[in-house]
Amino acid sequence: MRDHTPTDMPTRNRPMNRGASLADDASRLDAVAKVTGAAKYARDMYPADCLFVGFVRCPVGSGQLAARDEAAARAVPGVLEVEIERDEGRYHGQPVGHIVAESKTALRRAMRALDARWTPGPCSVEIEQAAGEPPQTQGDIAQLLERAQHVLDATYETPVQTHSPLETHGGMAIHHGDRAELFSSTQGTSAAADGIEDQFGLPRAACEIHCEYVGGGFGSKLNGAGREGAIAARMSAKYRRPVSCFTDRDEDHLDTGNRPSSRARVRIGFQADGTVLGGHIHTWGGVGVARGGGGCAIPSNHYDLGRIQKTSEDVQLNAGAPRPFRAPGWPQGKFAEELMLDEICAACGLDPVEMRLRLERSDDRRDMIRTGARLIGWNQRRPNGSGGAIRRGFGLGTTDWPRFPRQAEAEVIVNRDGSVEVRTGTQDIGTGMRTVAGVLAADRLGCGLERVNVRIGHSSLPPGPGSGGSMTSHNTAPAIIEAALQARNALLDAVGDRLGIPPDELSIQNDHLIHDQEPMMDWAEACAKLPRDAVIGRASSDTPQSQRHVGEGHSQGVQFVDLRVDTQTGIVHVDRIIAIQSCGQVVMRKGAESQIIGGVIQGVSYALFEHKIHDKATGTMVNPNLEWYKILGSADMPRIEPVLWTKGQTGVRSLGEPPTIPTAGAIACAVFNAIGRPVRSLPITPDKVLAALEGGGR
Amino acid sequence: MTMTPDPPPRGQVSRRSFLQTMGVSAAAAAVQAQAERADAAQPSSAPTTLSGPGPIEITLNVNGSDRRLTIDPATTLMEALRWHAGLTGTKEVCDRAACGTCSVLIDGRLVNSCMMLAYDAQGSRVTTIEGLARPGSLDPIQESFIRHDALQCGYCTPGLILASKALLGANPRPTLDQIKKGLAGNICRCGTYTNVFNAVLDASGQSPLMDSEAPDA
Ligand code: FES
Ligand code: FES
Repeated sequence: MRDHTPTDMPTRNRPMNRGASLADDASRLDAVAKVTGAAKYARDMYPADCLFVGFVRCPVGSGQLAARDEAAARAVPGVLEVEIERDEGRYHGQPVGHIVAESKTALRRAMRALDARWTPGPCSVEIEQAAGEPPQTQGDIAQLLERAQHVLDATYETPVQTHSPLETHGGMAIHHGDRAELFSSTQGTSAAADGIEDQFGLPRAACEIHCEYVGGGFGSKLNGAGREGAIAARMSAKYRRPVSCFTDRDEDHLDTGNRPSSRARVRIGFQADGTVLGGHIHTWGGVGVARGGGGCAIPSNHYDLGRIQKTSEDVQLNAGAPRPFRAPGWPQGKFAEELMLDEICAACGLDPVEMRLRLERSDDRRDMIRTGARLIGWNQRRPNGSGGAIRRGFGLGTTDWPRFPRQAEAEVIVNRDGSVEVRTGTQDIGTGMRTVAGVLAADRLGCGLERVNVRIGHSSLPPGPGSGGSMTSHNTAPAIIEAALQARNALLDAVGDRLGIPPDELSIQNDHLIHDQEPMMDWAEACAKLPRDAVIGRASSDTPQSQRHVGEGHSQGVQFVDLRVDTQTGIVHVDRIIAIQSCGQVVMRKGAESQIIGGVIQGVSYALFEHKIHDKATGTMVNPNLEWYKILGSADMPRIEPVLWTKGQTGVRSLGEPPTIPTAGAIACAVFNAIGRPVRSLPITPDKVLAALEGGGR
Repeated sequence: MTMTPDPPPRGQVSRRSFLQTMGVSAAAAAVQAQAERADAAQPSSAPTTLSGPGPIEITLNVNGSDRRLTIDPATTLMEALRWHAGLTGTKEVCDRAACGTCSVLIDGRLVNSCMMLAYDAQGSRVTTIEGLARPGSLDPIQESFIRHDALQCGYCTPGLILASKALLGANPRPTLDQIKKGLAGNICRCGTYTNVFNAVLDASGQSPLMDSEAPDA
């Protein structure tokens, strides 16, 4: 079987992205491992003698553990430990104890034998059950609203969305006596090492974290080793056996974070000609048992909306706490903002593209809006609510993501046998980071990508940032580039020395050593001239040398949606989405396109389907699975065309979060265009569409 | 593991009764795709001997060779493959027929291995993702997934590849619509579907979806 991914596999179906990146035709370096099943994720580790830990959890929004039979649970064959730590709970899914058993089957039987009986108490699970009143509108804003020719007074709502990575949360720990290992499904290899020594009861240097492959995260695995990894480590120290602790699918919905629900009350004043004067925007975020994290990014600052008073409240509920979720606060804020703008357009008889070109603060994005309008065929857009039973709608939304500087380190090693190793303590949760690191090094070294092995996802590597906030690529890139340049210079020095040629007359291009514009020998022959085993370049992102590689660029984008609504069934069918996105210098084209497509798909799923539903009486989540918690599937797929915008982009920038920000807002606008009435609540399900058509609406 | 109502004990729930308990209004295409697999998973005749409750020995023919495994009788095929046979390319995601990630081929037909007892897979040829490539070469559908970057985190990838393989086995030149319906039982959270469609089109000798050319300024 092929064990190295082919690095030259051209595709020709995205003409606009030809030549956009450093490696247009490269495939993922870990693709062969992933398509053959050879890739081992932490959840795939079942060493002989492995123990399993499961949490006993509160089944209601609030309650008392009235009765349980620990003795019966302990009596189940294969059970080693049953421990109940508390007898009250504040949300469905809250851990109140744990069981350790020799097999998953024994664990399930013990859970049943425990026969936990709960007495439910009063609880609030929806924002409206616990929200306070918005604070008073300040004087100048109140006056502005008085004076305005029109005021839009509307409330926009979004549901709780769960990350639902397909590999659930957890870790597998092995204690070897004087050292220990944790295989962690985490977005932060370096963060997973923090504090794990206390769980293992060993010095920090004796604890290793492995994180080779991660089955998705989207923000929910930014908590280091997590509760699951920590207890696996602790139990492995206690029993001196390997211990695996992974959540089941239902637990993953309940207690591994979410995008919090939101409400935005908007009172905004505008003139008949569409001039937006400003107003008061108050948002609520349903943060469950957490204290914060309910921010809702409206206004976005993409548009000039006049004078805005923004106030907000985090509403505590009997529900699991949020965690960062791919662009925290942004998809919910942009849903409200884009639909609000289109409602103002409708009141003034303005075209939504015209309106955004007027209000847009970024010249680049204004260009993107014009391009996107042509690509989607905006001129086919009809007035709101036109057509027969099946109505077509168009909408758009904008996105933006800043650079968050973080420290990262990298090493690039060129070996005498011609192989290259890139070492940095980051991880690839599906983002393509492994390949990004390889392409950047190969590009600066001048060698072929197939020579490069990338080592990431291990605690012994130079520390790298977590995969969150779209910070990984743009922070590791300067360090990788600088380390590669150092290694290249060291190689040229050494080889020049052997050949008696001044190193500044030598260069490396296309996998060859070049002198006097002529290839002298190939990369492998050049490396064979090294007097020692290897040359090494090392760099940290925060040095002046590395900072030279930060370059110019800004992650911005625009998405356009073309959809149809069946006014008899209320079903929304998204036909096509154009997603224009800049992300600095694109490193690998295919991976960048995938990031954009994936972000858009999550946005469509958020707009139309996803909803963590709690029963208001008991606080119990009623759909903790993948059949009733509906995630977009292949049959629901629109055509998605990712367009890489490269104008003026020289340094590596962010790409994880921005493409998921505008999608739901653009879809909501397109639904409004189709049916002529706004659906102000996500997900836009058929019942809401029908209610809006009947004039009820929310 | 929550303390919400117990699922029926493993092995007593047939995939047919499971679907009945789900009611009729679920996302139609996905459920239908699962239901089609369900039929494939029905053993043709009920076993007549009694096994268990202690560990039992079974023989599974996986990827062309017989494996003798000692398992708890309630072990699903997915669990037997992952826990006992070390074939962890078969992923566990929902454990209740809602995601397709645990897909395997049984005598060439697509089955969710979480919904079948390992015991019942005896006497059939089980193909997992590990059994798809031949020495020295990947299966064309695997090559095509790589070429079109139809994978991100890779966790859904084995299931989607096997589902694509089964689809192409039944329909060598599927239309885009047939591909969408044929893969509707497989969830990908990272959002690779567009490139999966391209991979399947390409592997069946058809052109992938062509995106727009740059518009005139
Ligand atoms: S794990 Fe079997 S269908 Fe989801
Ligand atoms: S690639 Fe991550 S779930 Fe499909």
